[in-house]
Amino acid sequence: MKANDEGGYSRRQFLKGCGLGAGSLVLLGQFGIHSAAWALSGEPVLKMVLVDYSKCTGCRTCETACSASNHPVPVGGKELPGLGNPYYANIRLHNFNPDVDVANVCAMCADTPCVRACRVEPDGETGRRALYRDEATHTIRNDSARCIGCRSCAWACASQRTGTISPNPATGKPERMCTLCGGDPQCVKKCPFSALSYVEVRNNRKFYGQGPEKIAAQLARNWYGTADFGGLK
Amino acid sequence: MSSKAGYHGVVLSVDLSTGKSQKIPIPPEDFDNFVGGQGLGIKILWDRLKRPGVDALSPENPLLFMPGPFSGLPVPSSSRTCVVTKSPITAPRKSDHSHASTVTYSNMGGFFGPEIRFAGYDGIVITGKAPALSYLVIDDAKVEIRDAGKFKGMRTDAFDRAILEELGDRKFKTVYIGPAGENLVPYSSILHTAGRAAGRGGSGCVMGSKNLKAIAVRGTGQPGVADHAGFLSALEKARKVLNGSAYAKSWAEQGTARGIVGNSKAGTESVRNYREGTFSEAEKIGGEAARRDVWVRDIACYCCPLACKKSGMTRGKYGGVVHDGPEYETGVMLGSNLLISDMAGLLKAITTIDDLGLDQISTGNVIGFLMEAYERGMISRSFLDGIDLKWGSVDATLAMIEKIAAKEGVGALAAEGVRALAWQIGKGSEKFAIHVKGLELAAHNIQANPPRGLSYATASRGACHMSGDSAAMQNRRAMLDSTGMCFFPTFEPALEEPMLSLLSAITGRTFDKAEFEKTGERIFNLEKMFNYREGFRREDDRLPDRFFEDAFTVGPKKGAVLDRDLFETTLTEYYRERGWDPKTSSPEKVKLKELGLDGLSS
Ligand code: SF4
Ligand code: SF4
Ligand code: SF4
Ligand code: SF4
Repeated sequence: MKANDEGGYSRRQFLKGCGLGAGSLVLLGQFGIHSAAWALSGEPVLKMVLVDYSKCTGCRTCETACSASNHPVPVGGKELPGLGNPYYANIRLHNFNPDVDVANVCAMCADTPCVRACRVEPDGETGRRALYRDEATHTIRNDSARCIGCRSCAWACASQRTGTISPNPATGKPERMCTLCGGDPQCVKKCPFSALSYVEVRNNRKFYGQGPEKIAAQLARNWYGTADFGGLK
Repeated sequence: MSSKAGYHGVVLSVDLSTGKSQKIPIPPEDFDNFVGGQGLGIKILWDRLKRPGVDALSPENPLLFMPGPFSGLPVPSSSRTCVVTKSPITAPRKSDHSHASTVTYSNMGGFFGPEIRFAGYDGIVITGKAPALSYLVIDDAKVEIRDAGKFKGMRTDAFDRAILEELGDRKFKTVYIGPAGENLVPYSSILHTAGRAAGRGGSGCVMGSKNLKAIAVRGTGQPGVADHAGFLSALEKARKVLNGSAYAKSWAEQGTARGIVGNSKAGTESVRNYREGTFSEAEKIGGEAARRDVWVRDIACYCCPLACKKSGMTRGKYGGVVHDGPEYETGVMLGSNLLISDMAGLLKAITTIDDLGLDQISTGNVIGFLMEAYERGMISRSFLDGIDLKWGSVDATLAMIEKIAAKEGVGALAAEGVRALAWQIGKGSEKFAIHVKGLELAAHNIQANPPRGLSYATASRGACHMSGDSAAMQNRRAMLDSTGMCFFPTFEPALEEPMLSLLSAITGRTFDKAEFEKTGERIFNLEKMFNYREGFRREDDRLPDRFFEDAFTVGPKKGAVLDRDLFETTLTEYYRERGWDPKTSSPEKVKLKELGLDGLSS
């Protein structure tokens, strides 16, 4: 199912493609219980970049790959990937002492606390706030023309989920929401240690949707028997 | 936009005496000729110190933090920062200049070099001396010197946390000294991420002399490249060679620690203060044992697909968090060289040395020397302040480490290194004071490895195991350490071509093998010019007597010993190959002209 991998797949298409109604068993076999549940419940199938913390070495190659592909530059009339300045990456490494590195990326929350926190009223036509879930890619996007830079989304994400949203220091508008690279995540491709994978969102996975400090504390306790990172939160 | 592709075109120059900082432009030809890292560092050092005999601990001596053209770009393993300064450790046998010493350079991995380039600089140059203990914060263009009084005496592990807490953002990359550096122990190191160090050559002591506890850098920018498309395609090739390769996997498995057992078996390990080349208990402190009992994860430096750093924990009397180790150098210098085979005890020593901010290699070497002098009855227990410094004793080693960092009692003399100890003790102890030019040798023993002896004897910073075992290797190494790339991935021969393409695409200057080596030769020769000007001559390129007199008594290389005549012949050949005068070791005019260094000679 190529279309599914690319993420641009609506529930209606999915149902059509599977001939749902008659064959929900087939569907179960093909897509697993979660997709089936999604199809039946009317929720969009969500995919995300999943980190295996036991494999991640903290090398930050993913940051450079993300930045390069999401910030292309025009070179000789062509758009080429950028040079991968990690500052602009949507996946970011958080380093701790004792040595724990947590790659942090949008969890593609089904209930989008970030969007719900947006202060901008939904648009009459599209129903979108300034922050919204894109229908095609299912990723979180910002309509910077309507965004007022209030940082409510970033706050909601940081206090309830991963904290991946980073407001632009000058405008306050949200940045660093994973784009899933249009369904072909470059971070997953370029990670030298196969620590990343592109998977369906399941909120019962260990560490799902948690912020880096929380994850780091659990890892450090496991690995070193201590989670004293000093006072910085 | 800089006038030279691949660079910002400027270094940040900070004078701690006046508190002023400024961006200083670097002439484009200096980037062409000296590249970055070690090379550009030595060029800046040469330009700033116009006369010999400047006291390394004076405000005048610049302390340089040098990334290279790879730094800040996603080039595999482009993680290194080269710290360059005038050595507070080395000295020639005789010289007209009272504070004569060599250049020194020390290369560390991690994330600091790339961050310097993110912040918009091709290097940081520190001069002067702050009126009180301070730290430097570089936040892109914003530069600030802050009071570090409350951090005085703080050990590096605690400081690593405390400084980030103070700065309020983990994205700052930091380097710092420990109590040893503050106390001006000559062989003090500069730490980064609590477990990575610019260890060799005393850069931490120079930092301490400037009253500089730490530097924190955070940046948002990036240098450009000359050929964008060329860069991307060479990058893909380099990644293809390394990522997931058999070589990368095997290197990740044990890192340098594989050598602890490997070199012991080969008879090339520093054991019992260099008396032997094989340690019968190497397995107990080797990579396999560490993988089984200590390490919990593999850690990589910036964009590195090798991940040879290991962290873990130990339990029991010496238990605790282990940031790194054992590595080859740390494991051997504090393990085999001291006949310590208790893994937890060894790691406690390694961790303590990092925590205090000492160089692992010199510290292990000094303690080995003292253990031998004690065993031979040349020094008494009261000379050692009551420490029963017997071979293999972890507790005595730990006590000695603390004394050295505090320069307390016997530690004050031990802090000066084995050369000073041998002068003081006399009784023929000079024979087993294992140093060259005053810098202690590292964990590679040489009775059965003569080429490594040449590396130690002729390296620009004193006994250096990394310099290279021949002139050609030294040239390549000096060049590599000027790019910002780590040495370890270059064991993979297939990396060479994409690495050269990357360098060419970034700088816009074509680097083939020959040009790469020639540039390294220029760098190495400028180091030699510096050292020669200070008064270093052929008689300083010598090895301790032990290597010519004490044949190994155990192991596969039993009986191995260096031949003095052969060593001298090799040295003469080496000078000839280099275009240096075999009598004095002075670089010949023709050679300097060929390298474009004739205009620099003084
Ligand atoms: S590229 Fe992979 S191993 Fe490296 S930091 Fe990212 S997730 Fe971790
Ligand atoms: S992780 Fe944050 S940005 Fe992503 S969907 Fe959840 S709340 Fe929104
Ligand atoms: S910053 Fe913009 S997107 Fe975020 S909540 Fe405010 S208005 Fe909405
Ligand atoms: S999927 Fe793409 S946008 Fe998302 S973190 Fe990975 S590289 Fe960045």
